Amino acid sequence: MDFGYTKEEEKFRKRLGGFLDKELTEEIARQNWEDKGVGPEGREFSHKLASKGFLGMSWPKEYGGQGLPSTYDFILLDELGKRWGAHVPLDVGYTMVGPTILQRGGENLKKEFLPKIIRGEIEFCLGYSEPDAGSDLAAMQMSAVEDDDYYIINGQKTFNTECHYAEYHWLAARTDTNPDIPNYKGISLFIVDMNSPGITIEPLWTMSGERTNEVFYDNVRVHKKRMVGEKNKGFYYMMEALGSERNQVFVPARLYPILEDLIHYAKETQYNGKTLAEDPIIRDKLAQAAIEVDVARVLAERSRWMESNELPMTYEPEVTKVVVSELEQRLVNTGMEILGLFGQLEEDSKWVPLRGRIEWYYLHSFLTTIGAGTSEIGRNIIAQRGLGLPRA
Amino acid sequence: MNFTFSKEQNLLRQSIREFLTKECESEFVREMEEDEMGYTPEIWRGMAKLGWMGLIFPEKYGGTEGDFLDLVVMLEEMGRACLPGPFFSTVVLGGLTILEAGNESQLSEFLPKIVDGDAILTLALNEPSTTKYDPPLITVQASVEKDKYIIDGIKLFVPDANVADYIICAARTEGGPDLKEGITLFLVDTNTPGIKSTLLKTITRDKQCEVAFDKVKVPERSILGELNKGWTYIEKILQKAAVAKCAEMVGGAQKVLEITTSYAKKREQFGQVIGSFQAVQHHCANMLIDIDGGKYITYQAAWMLSEGISCNREVAVAKAWVNEAYKRVVSIGHEIFGGVGYMAEHDMTLFSRRSKAAEITFGDANFYRKLVSQELGL
Repeated sequence: MDFGYTKEEEKFRKRLGGFLDKELTEEIARQNWEDKGVGPEGREFSHKLASKGFLGMSWPKEYGGQGLPSTYDFILLDELGKRWGAHVPLDVGYTMVGPTILQRGGENLKKEFLPKIIRGEIEFCLGYSEPDAGSDLAAMQMSAVEDDDYYIINGQKTFNTECHYAEYHWLAARTDTNPDIPNYKGISLFIVDMNSPGITIEPLWTMSGERTNEVFYDNVRVHKKRMVGEKNKGFYYMMEALGSERNQVFVPARLYPILEDLIHYAKETQYNGKTLAEDPIIRDKLAQAAIEVDVARVLAERSRWMESNELPMTYEPEVTKVVVSELEQRLVNTGMEILGLFGQLEEDSKWVPLRGRIEWYYLHSFLTTIGAGTSEIGRNIIAQRGLGLPRA
Repeated sequence: MNFTFSKEQNLLRQSIREFLTKECESEFVREMEEDEMGYTPEIWRGMAKLGWMGLIFPEKYGGTEGDFLDLVVMLEEMGRACLPGPFFSTVVLGGLTILEAGNESQLSEFLPKIVDGDAILTLALNEPSTTKYDPPLITVQASVEKDKYIIDGIKLFVPDANVADYIICAARTEGGPDLKEGITLFLVDTNTPGIKSTLLKTITRDKQCEVAFDKVKVPERSILGELNKGWTYIEKILQKAAVAKCAEMVGGAQKVLEITTSYAKKREQFGQVIGSFQAVQHHCANMLIDIDGGKYITYQAAWMLSEGISCNREVAVAKAWVNEAYKRVVSIGHEIFGGVGYMAEHDMTLFSRRSKAAEITFGDANFYRKLVSQELGL
């Protein structure tokens, strides 16, 4: 057992921290995290990250990476997260799509996309969910029919966040409609240029003010060269990427700034001649929050360590997902309790405490146990893969 | 980073499990609950022969100089088997305190005896006034009389004092009742006149005792460490004891998870195994999450103790988490086993009683949340 980082890793963290303290404003951090859409400042920040060598550490050298273990990418995510960032600016490409292209894509796709991803130049949006395919994702109906060198794609996706500013859609569509095979065996993955004729994007607004989208495909032609890996293997690729996605998307480090803000608030805020920090109930609640964040951190680090060492992950990243998402809800709920009447004030309001971050996070936290798979599906996975319990 | 145990540690675990599977079946555990001594000399000798008591002690005293993580492996297995007897008292509370505070002659007198299984030790901290867990609250007095100290007062919840050869007694040699200064540790032979141990009847039927010190005269050389500086040793020992207790608890919780999931895979209701129902799967997933969290937060604290890195927050977080997690795990175990698990003869009842006892030993979650809030700067 060894819970420490190496000297080289710590040195990297320090250099990176110095850079982020200077360059990462809260506004840039929030552009991506709140899914407002990465604007010109975020894109510029992305280029700077890449030019300083902070992007692509764990990627192969032949595509522009540095060939280091994925620990370095996790350090990057942690340092961003501590500063309200949590993701690299163009994170879908970097943390979710890129690894699958690397793993399963043909050489042409690798050469075309990986260097741009590593340089922080392009973004993808995930095209998975459909109105009738949520937790039962393999039930998706969007169809892709062969036509010479192309596929003709028709149908509808929903909750496809980032589509309004990403260059490419990472699209899962049905390429085999044979009713006699299980539905997960008939799905393929495509990279679709968002400017393709026939794509319509309609905004959906969430209760915490973020934008997500409905995306409609009307006879969209996609060249066969843009199919990722083998035909009808798409669902397998999606599932095999899941562990790494969990490790990269559910980052306990981003819970620490919330905790620190609340501690700071409790120490600075007076009630009846004393600070809130002297109230035993508030002390107890904050301590419990810290305990849970620390436990989430070791659980996430265990799972990341497995990934960094290329050990087979089964249920471990799902534990990270369930724990971090549910903890986020409890943490901001604790925050709202501490803020009392002031907790309801929004960012622009007179008298707003903590820049309205807790109020926003409170609303946002309803998503965490739903997005990227519900807690219920997560627990099914943990029980079935982690403990060998049978499917119903 | 490395989140695995070494080959040697895995072998150690395997050999401990083999021994305990044979020598410490749940029938034996229940027998020992009703036994006056709470262990048998045979199993104690067997453990000593395998070198268990010497695992953590330096080679020059007969030990094998393992680190704290090795001890964690051992205690996990002991918790898994609900091993009765004075191992924890002797090695963790007794031996490690001597190692921390003892002078050379004390080290070379007592550690080899512990290693060989020839001496049983324990540590007396709590008192009738400890109505809320508060380690520096020491009122039992040790007053000077010529070249002797006279210890007078009652100690409570002293584990295995009924069979101990030596008791390390924390007594007040100076100052008021709740001061950290003025506490002194005395290493007392239990044959000294004036010591009387009375067994308490506890939830786990472990052998916790009231120990009455009636004007017990001890020589000055029985002082362990510096006069009036006892707290500095107690503080360190209680950190180690808390993490060691976490290891036992995590081992017990792991066993509960295993027997519960294996039952869920066999037990049929409504024409299918109950383990295929989502309600049961989610219960089991929650156990696994609690236990994984408990393991790694414990290992982290143990690793820091091994490395000599200051870990006040990590220890407090570990005990706070494991206290609650183990309790949740046994409560789910009972829920899934239903009526049969509620029967006194069922193994679940060993763990549900032990999870409660372990939770309140060396501080419950409220106690540790207080420490964490201080560590947070609140």
